[in-house]
Amino acid sequence: MKFFLSALLVFFFLLSTFRTIADSEPPKKWTISGSIHDRSNGEDLTGATIYVAELNTGTVSDIYGNYSLTLPEGTYTIQYSFIGFESTKQTVVLDQNLTISVELSPSAETLREVEVTSEQANRNVVRPEMSTFQMDIKTIKKIPSLMGEVDIIKAIQLLPGVQSVSEGGSGFSVRGGAPDQNLILLDESTVYNASHLMGFFSVFNNDAIKDVKLYKGDIPPMYGGRLSSVLDVRMKEGNTKRFEVTGGIGLIASRLTVEGPIWKDRISFIVSGRRTYADLFLALSSEQALRNNKLYFYDLNAKINYRIDDNNHLFLSGYFGRDVFRNNFARMSWGNGTGTIRWNHLFNKKLFSNFTFVYSDYRYMLGTPEGNNNSFEWNSSLRDIGLKGDFSYYINTNNTFRFGISATYHMINPGVARGIGSETVYSEVMVPDNFSLETGIYAGNEQNVGERWTFRYGIRFSLFQNIGPGTIFHFDSLYNPIDSTIYPAGKFYNTYFGIEPRLGILFAIDERSSVKASYTRTNQYLQLAQNSTAGTPLDIWFPASPNVNPQVADQGAIGYFRNFRQNTIETSVEVYYKYMNHVIDFKDFAELLLNDKLEGEIREGKGWSYGAEFLVRLNEKKFGGWVSYTLSRSIRKIPEINDGNPYPAPYDKPHNIAIVANYQFLPRWSVSANWVYATGNPVTFPTGRAEIGGKVIPIYSDRNAFRYQDYHRLDLSITFSSKVKEGRKFSWDINASAYNVYNRHNTWSINFVQDNENPTITYAEKIYLFGIVPSVTFNFHF
Amino acid sequence: MKILNLYPVLLLFAAAACTERIDLTLDESYIRLVVDGGISTDTASYRIHLTKTADYFYNEPTPRVVNAAVNLSDGMNTYPLTETEPGRSGVYETDSTFCGQIGNTYTLSIDLESPIDNRTTYTSSCRMMKVARLDSIQINFQPDWGPEGFWEIKVFAQEPGDEVNYYMFHYYRNDTLMTDSVWKIPISDDVYFNGNYVNGLTAVFINNENSWERPYPGDKITIQMSGITREYYDFLYQVQLAGYNIPFFTGPPANVQGNISDGAIGFFTAYSNSWASTVAK
Repeated sequence: MKFFLSALLVFFFLLSTFRTIADSEPPKKWTISGSIHDRSNGEDLTGATIYVAELNTGTVSDIYGNYSLTLPEGTYTIQYSFIGFESTKQTVVLDQNLTISVELSPSAETLREVEVTSEQANRNVVRPEMSTFQMDIKTIKKIPSLMGEVDIIKAIQLLPGVQSVSEGGSGFSVRGGAPDQNLILLDESTVYNASHLMGFFSVFNNDAIKDVKLYKGDIPPMYGGRLSSVLDVRMKEGNTKRFEVTGGIGLIASRLTVEGPIWKDRISFIVSGRRTYADLFLALSSEQALRNNKLYFYDLNAKINYRIDDNNHLFLSGYFGRDVFRNNFARMSWGNGTGTIRWNHLFNKKLFSNFTFVYSDYRYMLGTPEGNNNSFEWNSSLRDIGLKGDFSYYINTNNTFRFGISATYHMINPGVARGIGSETVYSEVMVPDNFSLETGIYAGNEQNVGERWTFRYGIRFSLFQNIGPGTIFHFDSLYNPIDSTIYPAGKFYNTYFGIEPRLGILFAIDERSSVKASYTRTNQYLQLAQNSTAGTPLDIWFPASPNVNPQVADQGAIGYFRNFRQNTIETSVEVYYKYMNHVIDFKDFAELLLNDKLEGEIREGKGWSYGAEFLVRLNEKKFGGWVSYTLSRSIRKIPEINDGNPYPAPYDKPHNIAIVANYQFLPRWSVSANWVYATGNPVTFPTGRAEIGGKVIPIYSDRNAFRYQDYHRLDLSITFSSKVKEGRKFSWDINASAYNVYNRHNTWSINFVQDNENPTITYAEKIYLFGIVPSVTFNFHF
Repeated sequence: MKILNLYPVLLLFAAAACTERIDLTLDESYIRLVVDGGISTDTASYRIHLTKTADYFYNEPTPRVVNAAVNLSDGMNTYPLTETEPGRSGVYETDSTFCGQIGNTYTLSIDLESPIDNRTTYTSSCRMMKVARLDSIQINFQPDWGPEGFWEIKVFAQEPGDEVNYYMFHYYRNDTLMTDSVWKIPISDDVYFNGNYVNGLTAVFINNENSWERPYPGDKITIQMSGITREYYDFLYQVQLAGYNIPFFTGPPANVQGNISDGAIGFFTAYSNSWASTVAK
């Protein structure tokens, strides 16, 4: 704690000195800074390349499109380029500090495809970051999808090192980690449950999304709070040039997005909505039981973007989504809401900052219709309020120093169930709310040494405090509650402190190949009480506490990166090892819902995972996609589970292949395909039987000693687009896709069923979710 | 908690999913003793079934354990059980005058003729819990639940607030037991109504499609409410869940926890009863 406070002091000291250092730089060097935008709609371009040919050096724009580059006095040719855009060159005479903001035009002949342009296309080789994958929404939209709903998380699941947790679900495991070890951010707000409709769709409406970046390891010190990955999703800012409408009509959902300037080049907005109407089809069903069901979800994204001046930029963004299920028996609803206010401020040409206020809310309700003495309602919620300050200091071409601070206040209401109506037979059952504060400060430098070496070294200090009011149960060695301690409101009754080093090294062998290595330590203080593999909306997040240790992971990775054919083919091999301490699992038949002694159901142990990831990514003009192969294991060892013997994690799938391809075979026609293959999920099967009360009771094998059949699936889609004509604003495309083309009955679960006629006979019954699922979607844009 | 009925969600889901029978090869299992039976506060002859475990796809009645010496004790007296068909049935019963007393702890001891899992003696104990008096029951039909509607049988009783109670319900139609298998037995704890007057809790749901179990006008409907131990409540819950693997709702499958010593499987239970009847309209 004392250490943390000293670190905090150092932080503010650094902050106060940077301005003066920045201003008192010896005048032999000058700084060029500015921002890079898309000429067609004014969107910030993240990760655009600024390249100085004379010095063979450069930089990339940050997530707000800003860049800063400090060079010795001289005359230079500076090239600005970005994937899918025409690059531009500018000759500058650098004898003073300059501000150069650039707008890039989408390359005309490649309006609908990814293309890598020019020299600095070898970013994946020369950037000192590994274990990451960035995708823009255009790439994601090309992947064939379930029921025509293009989905970011389904695209993520096709990357090396990422496993889907269950068929069609939105849960994913990164390098053997649990699904709750992924930090999912939407414009910097945490999204606690990214699933709609039991996970078949994610909460991200692709029309509102600009790009997405996944960190599987080598997580920058800026991020903390989850062990395994960061999925950073950014919403579009809205067109600052002209009004634009984008929409789509699909079989189960429709989308509409409106964006445009409120004040040209200064203020823009975007509003995007999506709603499913699957329940309208249920109404046509011949079965009464299905007809009475209501089942839908909707999403609303909105953002306002205000460029106050060159040094100040304000964003307001929000998301709201709900799932609703209702029939004569039951009603249920759940969803996320997030809000972000962000002020992007450039103190000077070298010190950029970003101040953010975030709010996140996840809640669900489950109940029965009113008017019955058995009627009840059950509510649960989780809210976060957070403040962050992030700073980038471009010291010189060889050093970029980043530092920042964040604090998040978590308010968790694990659940209240009560009868409703005056005649209710139920009393109220409540699990008390809990409160906690999560604070982090970080600093890290990226340093080029010579032509070939780049080092990144950083550290994050994290602090987690439980705050009263709170009730902590004490458990004996058999996890029976003995007594409890009640803490008053406002009391900080428990503190955990974490030191998280983040290191990375890049060695550039030549312009086409490099070797990278990284080490990351991460701490996690909030986890999900979930015992099943498929995501349910009934999530309960619980904090570290006197009974629950924070989870800690150490990950090391090394990789080789090599590009071929003018960087149109990118290849990489990465191997990693991850060791996790205090990973959680649950006792047999654990009760997780509405249980005030939930902490007694938790079992802590160790986990480790390792693997090798191979990726070949192709970015030809008309042909794009990737092939990935992952060979990996993920093991858990928890003293009270499986007699203390190691067992495979539920997402341990040693072999995993994904092939993603799209081909524009005629100017207006393109086809896409993906094929996935994975070893079957590990599962516990019965090996013996006992007869009790007329039922055959299974006696089980060791935990996860068996596997389902291997999983594989082919999806195809074909898109026909309107003609591209100069001056014509209206464009459209029609997409026909098929999920699971060869109709493989992939196992979702296996149940063991007792025969009704002869109860001594049992048989195994496989449940599969999807046969072939065709769909058609119409998209338009003007 | 378990009273919260997630059935409607499952019902909807089942409509979307498809099932097919598959062939699986499973490993061989070890052999254990299985004990199944119990006693209550009624004067009757009670049966204890002794069997052995078998491989999962054995698909015949599991082997019976015959010629065992089985005794029941309440700490003061010992009541021997006799095999119904000596050397053949594996079913051991008490004298027909046996009657359990609330508050007693009963111990079952088993001596086997030949060892199972290298042991010949096994024991089990269970306390006989009290039960609230069942005042009355009521039948109610919900026509719009499910395709054909559901029957609800509601119970009315004063729940004692002094301790945590666990309940098991049996349903009789014209004095024939309908909840005749362990997976049909409704159970409940008192978390939601501890100490309340239970003013019409639905104890039993009967699908109107089930022509054997559903009530018909003029039928005598009886509910037997029993007070059970927490261990038996957990056991019934686990037994009812065993074998189902619905990824949304269930965790990893696990072996059910019984109350028989030395690794044997099953449960010896003791419970007290109260009844109420009504005539279906």
